[in-house]
Amino acid sequence: MDELYDRLKAYEGRPAAIAAEGKDPVNSPMIRHWCEAMGHPVPEDGSAPATMLQVWTMSGLAGHGAARAGAYDELLALLDESGCASVVATDCEQEYVRVLRPGERITFDAVIESVSTRKTTALGTGYFVTTRTDIRVGGGELVGTHRFRILKYEPAERQAKAATKAPPGARRPRPVVNRDNAGYWQGIEEHRLLIQRCGGCGALRLPWLPGCNGCGGQEWDTVPAAGGGAVFSYVVMHHPPFPAFDPPYAVALVELAEGVRVLGNVIGVPYEKVRVGMPVALEFQRVDGEFTVPVFRAEEG
Amino acid sequence: MSLRSADRLGGRAAIAGIGATEFSKDSGRSELKLAVEAVRAAIADAGLRPADVDGLVTFTMDTSPEITVAQAAGIGELSFFSRVHYGGGAACATVQQAAMAVATGVAEVVVCYRAFNERSGRRFGAGVQHREPSAEGAALGVNLPAGLLTPASWVAVAAQRYLHAYHLDATVFGHVAVADRRHAARNPAAYFYGKPITLADHAASRWIVEPLRLLDCCQETDGGQALVVTSAERARDLAHAPAVVRAAAQGAGRRQEQMTSFYRDADDLVMLPEMGVVARQLWRTSGLGSADIDVAVLYDHFTPYVLMQLEEFGFCGRGEGGAFVAEDRLPFNTHGGQLGEAYLHGMNGIAEAVRQLRGESVNQVPGAAHVLVTAGAGVPTSGLLLGADGADGADG
Amino acid sequence: MATGTAAGTAEVGDELPPLRIEVSRTLIVAGAVATRDYQDVHHDAEAARAKGSPDIFMNILTTNGLVGRYMAECFGVGVVLRSVRIRLGVPSYPGDELVLTGRVTAVEGDVVSVEVTGTNSLGSHVTGAVTAAMPGPVLGEEGGGVR
Repeated sequence: MDELYDRLKAYEGRPAAIAAEGKDPVNSPMIRHWCEAMGHPVPEDGSAPATMLQVWTMSGLAGHGAARAGAYDELLALLDESGCASVVATDCEQEYVRVLRPGERITFDAVIESVSTRKTTALGTGYFVTTRTDIRVGGGELVGTHRFRILKYEPAERQAKAATKAPPGARRPRPVVNRDNAGYWQGIEEHRLLIQRCGGCGALRLPWLPGCNGCGGQEWDTVPAAGGGAVFSYVVMHHPPFPAFDPPYAVALVELAEGVRVLGNVIGVPYEKVRVGMPVALEFQRVDGEFTVPVFRAEEG
Repeated sequence: MSLRSADRLGGRAAIAGIGATEFSKDSGRSELKLAVEAVRAAIADAGLRPADVDGLVTFTMDTSPEITVAQAAGIGELSFFSRVHYGGGAACATVQQAAMAVATGVAEVVVCYRAFNERSGRRFGAGVQHREPSAEGAALGVNLPAGLLTPASWVAVAAQRYLHAYHLDATVFGHVAVADRRHAARNPAAYFYGKPITLADHAASRWIVEPLRLLDCCQETDGGQALVVTSAERARDLAHAPAVVRAAAQGAGRRQEQMTSFYRDADDLVMLPEMGVVARQLWRTSGLGSADIDVAVLYDHFTPYVLMQLEEFGFCGRGEGGAFVAEDRLPFNTHGGQLGEAYLHGMNGIAEAVRQLRGESVNQVPGAAHVLVTAGAGVPTSGLLLGADGADGADG
Repeated sequence: MATGTAAGTAEVGDELPPLRIEVSRTLIVAGAVATRDYQDVHHDAEAARAKGSPDIFMNILTTNGLVGRYMAECFGVGVVLRSVRIRLGVPSYPGDELVLTGRVTAVEGDVVSVEVTGTNSLGSHVTGAVTAAMPGPVLGEEGGGVR
């Protein structure tokens, strides 16, 4: 039934980290800073508070480099591709064998313990992924176990917003669909952005119209957009607010690689980072659980 | 008018009367009542009686039908009634329609009018979230799901591209707002009478749709404005010196959309090709050029399009509109524009052009003989070249 | 803050004194950085909004740390945690208040089991179970564990 689940399940038992090393030895400054942030009393014996356990495994701003095993990244990438691109930590279960003291260096091994079937939550639908990390010191003395569960999900974004911000029933404006452009919106629903191609002169055109402005040709077929493009112009909406939207937000006029233009929201960057010329990639977003719109993800650049 | 050759309308009709209600934020009366008051005021200004009127022209967007205005204004039989589409783009075209009717003898006295409670009633700035599945609805509707829902947002797409293309920042738009408000400050009929602004005020005003700030967007107004058009010959016998229609033109560009012309040729987004169509016709029919213009009344619902209009009419080069305005090289929007005086869908600007030719403007340009007026920018539009009687330009 | 409880006096059913924590922006950001968690949703409001969240929100490592703090405040800094298991519910945003409450569910020798709940204005932010051993020297001392 759920082919994706079958593929995800194959990752159970595979390592997420092998003999990874903590970036820093257990140390007093990090302990004190952590206590300061938490309002936690500083242990009088200089030891690290137990609930710091995970901190010693964190890779920080520098990233995890090669320490993480490929399987976990593959699993996350698979979920990203399937639309479950958002992540939230849901559970943390720690068992402590003994306290850690300054000077001790930890190593850790992590395993993908389980992947859930597809679940629907208030945030959206997706999969819970549980990893277990064993933290050791010295020659392999186990000092703690850390089980971590995340939800990788496709946000029920608008529904969630409607619950907290918009009045009930606030919905996005619907596209205007008629006999001349129904095929375009049908394509969007199927995650294909179809560009009309004139049967006379071959010119590509958007938005859809029954005839060609260049040659007047009335025959046409379609070609799907490859997905690449760049921001041609954009605006940031501030006022007035509309119930289904949450200003400020960016709307871009994107010029596709094929040379035609289409409007859409820019995702993946804050609205103030959108710029003319920024490369973007076409994606599709489900709105109000009812219809699909093209959106554009800002590409790394 | 014709795209390819000069037309024969120039010089045959004139605006003989202007009339308006007060401009307010809440008129306290119906749109029909406003239309009737404005029409009757314009007829009286011309020194005519309602019984002299045999034609009425308005906008398709107006809610007061010609026949109902006629009924309530004391006007009898009509031989000509017409409406022009595309919002503010209709303004100058109502006069063109009237002039054509007069020139061909279809009607003798035609009143053009526009009246609405745009501030206290249906506010255009509130945006649209739904359109019917007509061709017109579908063309605009493709832009709605992304949340581009207001006139300001549609104009901002072009404005952003304009800034990008010419390596400018949004302060160039501020020059337009400052100039308009400077004129409005001296106009007792203007909403912003006595309230000039500075570039700093513009820069400090809040974002509406980046790159447009509050002070880049025109105000919202309740009110009515009417204009009486008759033959130039008859106008000479009426109460005021005629404002002769030296040329009148409509224009739509190739692959034009109503307000969302995002999909035409790339360079078109930083220009107003439809205004170029208007400009070509006005210059050709009148035999005049930009150097002959004493005053311009440029449609200013949003400041960026004023710059593009100056460029389209050849007052300055592409991308130079901001500098041109900053240097104060052409008196424009001497009533305060729609940013400063009132937003009457461009009709109040035509009245100001008439006042300049009569020598009655509060910001009078001495000896003004040729006034350019434009209608809605960024939409299928229209324009007028009005002249003082006897100031017939190159071909006169 | 009410007086703390020593395991020696803890009984099943005892309610631990609530700990009220003002969730400031500073706490969220400082907690994220102190736990070496640089996910932008925990320090960059614009980025958080771009991802559909109304603001930055507390990371799970901070929530975990605050549960640890609650134990240390109730039982004394010398308390030896054996396990902490937490599950997150609604997010914790700046400007809210997080109220931690606890109830003793088991006492076995010097090991106490506590059920912990943290609520904010949106609802239940965290539910969890903690087991902890009381350190010998603290037991029996007067006011043992009082912070």
